[in-house]
Amino acid sequence: MTKKEKTMNVTTINNKPNSRRNFFKKTAVYSMSAIAASSIVPISKLNADEIEITQKAPWGTKLGDLVDKYAYGIPSPYEHNNVRRVHDLLSSGDRYATVSMTPHHLQEGIITPNGLFFNRSHGGTAHVDPEKFRLMLHGLLEKPLVLTLKQLKRYPSISRIYFIECPANGSTGWRGPQFNNLQFVKGMTSCAEWTGVRLKTVLDDLGLSPNAKWMLAEGSDNSEMARTIPIEKVLDDAMLVWGQNGEPLRPEQGYPVRLLLPGWEGNLNVKWLKRLEFSDKPWHTKEETSKYTMLQANGKGINYFWPMEVNSIITSPCPEVPWTDLEVGDKIEISGLAWSGRGTITTVDISLDGGNNWVEASLKGLILPKAWTRFSYIFKWDGKTKVLLSRAIDDSGHIQPSIDKLIENVGVEGIYHRNPIVGWEVKSNGEVNNVHVRS
Amino acid sequence: MFMLDLKKIIISCGIISALIISSSFAQTQTNLKINVDGAVIYPHKDGKYTSYLLNEQSTNGFNNHGRTPTLNEIKAWNIDVMPDGTGLPEGEGSVEAGDELYSAQCAMCHGEFGTGGKGYPTLSGGQGSLKNQLLKEGDEPPFRTIGSYWPYASTLYWYIQSAMPFANPKSLSNDETYALVAYLLSINDIEIDGVELDDEYVLNKEKFLKIKMPNVDGFYPVDPSRSDLKEVRPPLAQGNRCMSDCDAPEPVHIAAEITGFDPVISTSKKLIIKESETTITQGEKIYNDSCMACHANEALGAPVLGDKDIWREITSKGIDSVYLNGINGINAMPPKGGNMDLSEVQMKEVIDYMVLKSK
Repeated sequence: MTKKEKTMNVTTINNKPNSRRNFFKKTAVYSMSAIAASSIVPISKLNADEIEITQKAPWGTKLGDLVDKYAYGIPSPYEHNNVRRVHDLLSSGDRYATVSMTPHHLQEGIITPNGLFFNRSHGGTAHVDPEKFRLMLHGLLEKPLVLTLKQLKRYPSISRIYFIECPANGSTGWRGPQFNNLQFVKGMTSCAEWTGVRLKTVLDDLGLSPNAKWMLAEGSDNSEMARTIPIEKVLDDAMLVWGQNGEPLRPEQGYPVRLLLPGWEGNLNVKWLKRLEFSDKPWHTKEETSKYTMLQANGKGINYFWPMEVNSIITSPCPEVPWTDLEVGDKIEISGLAWSGRGTITTVDISLDGGNNWVEASLKGLILPKAWTRFSYIFKWDGKTKVLLSRAIDDSGHIQPSIDKLIENVGVEGIYHRNPIVGWEVKSNGEVNNVHVRS
Repeated sequence: MFMLDLKKIIISCGIISALIISSSFAQTQTNLKINVDGAVIYPHKDGKYTSYLLNEQSTNGFNNHGRTPTLNEIKAWNIDVMPDGTGLPEGEGSVEAGDELYSAQCAMCHGEFGTGGKGYPTLSGGQGSLKNQLLKEGDEPPFRTIGSYWPYASTLYWYIQSAMPFANPKSLSNDETYALVAYLLSINDIEIDGVELDDEYVLNKEKFLKIKMPNVDGFYPVDPSRSDLKEVRPPLAQGNRCMSDCDAPEPVHIAAEITGFDPVISTSKKLIIKESETTITQGEKIYNDSCMACHANEALGAPVLGDKDIWREITSKGIDSVYLNGINGINAMPPKGGNMDLSEVQMKEVIDYMVLKSK
């Protein structure tokens, strides 16, 4: 028998070698009296040995990589499937003006690694030379201002954890479930710690006119992405950010500087920022008329629709990470993410029976405004088909609606801001499928 | 006003649901201060912003690091065009000239006469389709084009000027942009001041300011008066926190599953051997496994891989003597560097590799 065959046999015989339950199952073969008589049955007699333990691991018997092998570290090569993915259906004709999705099923905690942050642009990723970067603030200001990157970074900084979400996140579900995975159902959102200066801090010195009701934010990229922002948001929590999870912004996120409007549609967080103009009137840019407006069933479009609604999704289990390896009676944690652009998550309810009965899940970790929030519910798997749902509530009073409640109000052609409750059907064999509960 | 407009829609969908939405949202409202978007405004108070601590020293005066832009600099960047025509430059262009430009630079993506192509936007047609809802197979969806959807022509001018053609943006002159706008209005059957835009029609700033787009009143809530922002925005739809016996229907399954993700969806952790890794030479592999520990590090006294001077000296007596020294050991190096598993052939392979790497 070759070494490999031995390994395979061992794993076939003993597919759960470390399980306490298997130990007890096998222990039960020996009679109660045997246990009583001989006190403890040696484990080695009950389970086949695993070569992972009995043989020396190859990585322990030679030198590892040199510490400077990667000047900038990369993930384990085994994690090659923890990657962003794209689909041609979601593109505007090519892979410049499209979106790549975050793999939520492989994410931990509330911070998205910079290399996995979802990436949406309208003309490809621009590479701005930081030495040539200039930011101009002008319009209804007494003192217009030009800043280099170095000058901008001299302002006192703050670091805040905020999610960003494309308003089209979940948009493939308007007419029914279509994608059988978490990544494409909700992958257009990510969360990071952003470092920069509060925009109000910069404006405090510039003599903002009381007539300035709107701010234009414009990017320097191919698409000259531009959006109009009401002054109330500018003076509340808007930031000019240059840092993302402890390092300079990634090019895909607008290096060297982007606007950050916590909780608002991703596209408003203008990347590769170059200009902020203040006016008494809104601009009606291309991205707030031809796009990012929400056509209603009555034929009218909502324009300037800013905050992302309260939302939640169960990330474990999900179609990519099913419960097919569970055995009846196993304890298991249902966990997921909740977020709201209108405030802070206060409550997440979970249903195991497709929405008939609900129980309040535990929130865990940091609970921050306009940031991803983790929720958790532990239960014992009974091997019976289930439909898992999650329903989030925020401190502005917004409760995540059902699918049909939203359709009743806005129809199915709005494209954006689709936030109803998501359903995962867990079959008795542990497989997980995307389903819609049309209440 | 936004609240009223939204209610109108809701009422058109069902009065009962409207009552439920507004009353249930009102019930769950808190005492927190709310911004125009309906989101909570958290105070900066007592050195804290929610859970974040603040530095409360004065932040004034940092603008001294910057400077005032010159008028020319502002002019160079301030090229946006607003709905009332603010920012629109002088210039002119005919429908015919626009047609030629369109065929040469736009039709490959947007199709002949703006009829669309691949995934790129359709630019013409669709008027009267905005109330369409694609609910079941065979239904027509709404078509959002320049003619059917866009409220202002200023957007059209600014869009083309700043971001088109897609692969070569900011390359069109003002006259060319006027010509393209004229052509795109003409294929959407939009008239200016009652005049049809035929081939000879020349669009200029004065005529541009008279354009009224068909769907100008098709949006809410924002108008320049900001009357809309006097009320806080409600969510699009408010959920109902039923906890038991909620009478949920049977779930709807995927009818036609979409596949074709790139890369393919998988959670496998099996290593993928890349081609570049398989072409690694035998000598390099042996070096990495057995020799690198000493020969990559000057401090250990062994000739360092890549040190041309040392290796020139080592090879000066011919390659065979290098093989011999390697196999039998030399100075502090034991025979085969202590790797007695290595065959003589393997020793030669790794020495060849090290010599090559140090040339």
